[in-house]
Formats: sequence, structure tokens, C-alpha cells
Amino acid sequence: MQAGEDQLKAWMAQGLDGDAASHTALLRATAPLLRAFYRRRVGDGDTIEDLVQETLIAIHTRRMSYDRDRSFSAWLFAVARYKMIDHFRRTRQTCPIEEIDHLFSDGFEDETNARMDINRLLAALPEKQGQAIRQTRIEGHSIGDAARHAGIGESDVKISVHRGLKALAMRIRGERP
Amino acid sequence: MNTECLIDRLADDVSPVPRHAVGLRLALGVLAGGAITLSLIALGLGFRADLGLAMHGSSFWMKWAYPISLGVGAIAMAARLARPEPVRILAFWPVLIPFVLLTAVTIAEMAHVPPAEWLAMWLGKTWKKCPWLVLMLSTPIFVGLLWSFRRLAPTRLRAAGATAGFAAGAWAATLYCLHCPEVSALFVLSWYTLGILFAAAAGALVGPRLLRW
Repeated sequence: MQAGEDQLKAWMAQGLDGDAASHTALLRATAPLLRAFYRRRVGDGDTIEDLVQETLIAIHTRRMSYDRDRSFSAWLFAVARYKMIDHFRRTRQTCPIEEIDHLFSDGFEDETNARMDINRLLAALPEKQGQAIRQTRIEGHSIGDAARHAGIGESDVKISVHRGLKALAMRIRGERP
Repeated sequence: MNTECLIDRLADDVSPVPRHAVGLRLALGVLAGGAITLSLIALGLGFRADLGLAMHGSSFWMKWAYPISLGVGAIAMAARLARPEPVRILAFWPVLIPFVLLTAVTIAEMAHVPPAEWLAMWLGKTWKKCPWLVLMLSTPIFVGLLWSFRRLAPTRLRAAGATAGFAAGAWAATLYCLHCPEVSALFVLSWYTLGILFAAAAGALVGPRLLRW
């Protein structure tokens, strides 16, 4: 069961008054919330668990900085966000070398070639279809956003994507559209 | 360590936290550092010989009110920055009210003195060392505030560092008044303020490194 803001806030207040049981309940309930928070934003599993533990230690040792009149979740996620930014700041120092490796690896060339292929294929399509595919399938915009951007209807975008993909498939198979 | 074990271990130590814990903790840091600053002044510089007499005059209190009010404002500012909440720095403009008031007093003071004496009034006898002494004397108080922040959660480290330096400078200047024989408002406005700004700049410089958590 997931505890809501009211329950968490009550546990926090009791913990601040010195009630160890409430404090334990609070830490137990926040651990999965933090795990979900970091899973959505940070890469691998070990890092996530490290961040969860660091954040639990921080909310324990720095609980003085929570204002009882304010939202507990806002405070909790502000601490979590700080820990995440601190983590990125720390790891960035070692990151560039990995990125340079990445530049020289075979994968980088393949990726770049793939991007060039996609550009060439999309350029061969009518402009409306190419745009619709690029925005919804490559850049990850929603159908609605793409429609607004192009100034056309949503169903028009869907049809353009469908026809464009069909034309591309035929072209790749070597058939004339 | 497994997260469950960590939670159990953390739960072993749950001491009650009073309602105004942030303010108390900051005040304690300033007091502890201030005690060291005060002993440095007592042992190294000596209190001004006419301190008892000066405390009966208004110029001493005018001079004292300035760094004290800056110090109170700076601590209030530090208390806000000690919580991980979004803070608008511009909302802290009332901290500058003492500066505006002292500027008004200075202008009134200068109006009563012939312009030929303004330079002497401005530089006093100790202008060269005053800002540097304030900066040096602020160090123990700054360290005290670093201790305070160890249980707090500042997220804007440079702003928090600058504010801690500002507070340390203001309280160091307050204690330095017990030694400093200068009397003009123009002197206090210029050189005390400069010393406090030095301390704030030093705090901004080291804040991101020393306040990280």
C-alpha cells in the first residue's frame, strides 16, 4: 500500500517529536517513492539504490530543515532532486572520456549512418509526410503537437504518417510506390 | 549495505526536533563562532579604552545598530536558504534597509561638517585595516555557520555561502565595534560595509564546495 501525503506528513511530524516508530514507517514508505523517482531519471540499478540510500540518510540527518507547515512531498522531492543533481555533477567529471570513446566506437558511425539514411529517405517523401513521420516517430512529439505545428488536422497527420511509412517500406523493398 | 538495514540503523537515533530548530541551530553557530571572535578581539586587539563611556553616547549605538540589524537580516535569509525550497533572492531586499538608513544618517552628518573635514572623517585613523580585520574576525563565525548547515538542507549553495559569509561579516563587525575607536557614520558606512562584503564574497566563493551534502 502506498502512503499518501497526509499519512507521510503525520509520520514526519511524529518523528520530529521523537517517535521512532513513526520515523521508521516514514523512511520505509519513502524508499519506494524515491526508487520510482530515480528510476525515471537516472540510468542503472546500482546508482538508483545508492541515491535512494543517500537520500534516506539526508532526510534523516537534515529533517530539521523540514517546515511542519508545508508539504512533505515537496520537501522530500526537493531533497531527492538535489541529490540527483549532485550525483550528475560528481559523475560528469568522468563522463567526457566515455563520450570520446563513444565517438570512436563503431556504434557511433553506424548511428550516424542510420541518421543520414533516415534523412535521405524522408527527403524523398512528400514534405507533409516526411515532416509527420519525423515529428511523431523520431522526435517523439504527440500527434496533436505535430498537427498544431504543421497547421493541419490530427487525422491528416495520422494519414500522412501511415502513407509515408507505407511508401518508405515499398521503396526499401525496391518497389515503385 | 541493504536499504532495509540502513533504515533500521537510522531509526535507532530519533531525537526530538524543536519547532524553531533551524533558527536555533543558526543562532548557536553564530554564538559559538562569536565567542571565539570575541576572545580574539580581547586577546589580540583589546577593547577600546573608553568603551564604558562610549556606551553612554548615541554614536556608539548608531554604529552598533548597523551591523546588528544586518546580522539579524542575514540570519533570517540564511534560515530561508537552509530549506530546500525555491527562494527568490530579490525577496530579501529588506536586508538592505539598515544600509539605506545609515546612508541617510551619513548625509545628515556630513551636512553638519565643513567639506574640508570630509576626507578625514571618511578615512578615520584605521580605514586600511578595518575591512581586513572584519574579514578575518568573521572566519570563526563562518565556521560556526558551516557547522549549523550540516543539519540543514541548502540547495542553492553559492547563495547560502554568500549569506553565511554576510552574516559572519555582520556579526564580526558587531564585535569589532568593541575595539574600533572610529565615530563617524561615513566611516562605518564605507569600511564596515566593505569588510562585510569581503566576507560575503569569500562565502560565495567557498560555499559550493564547503556546503555540499
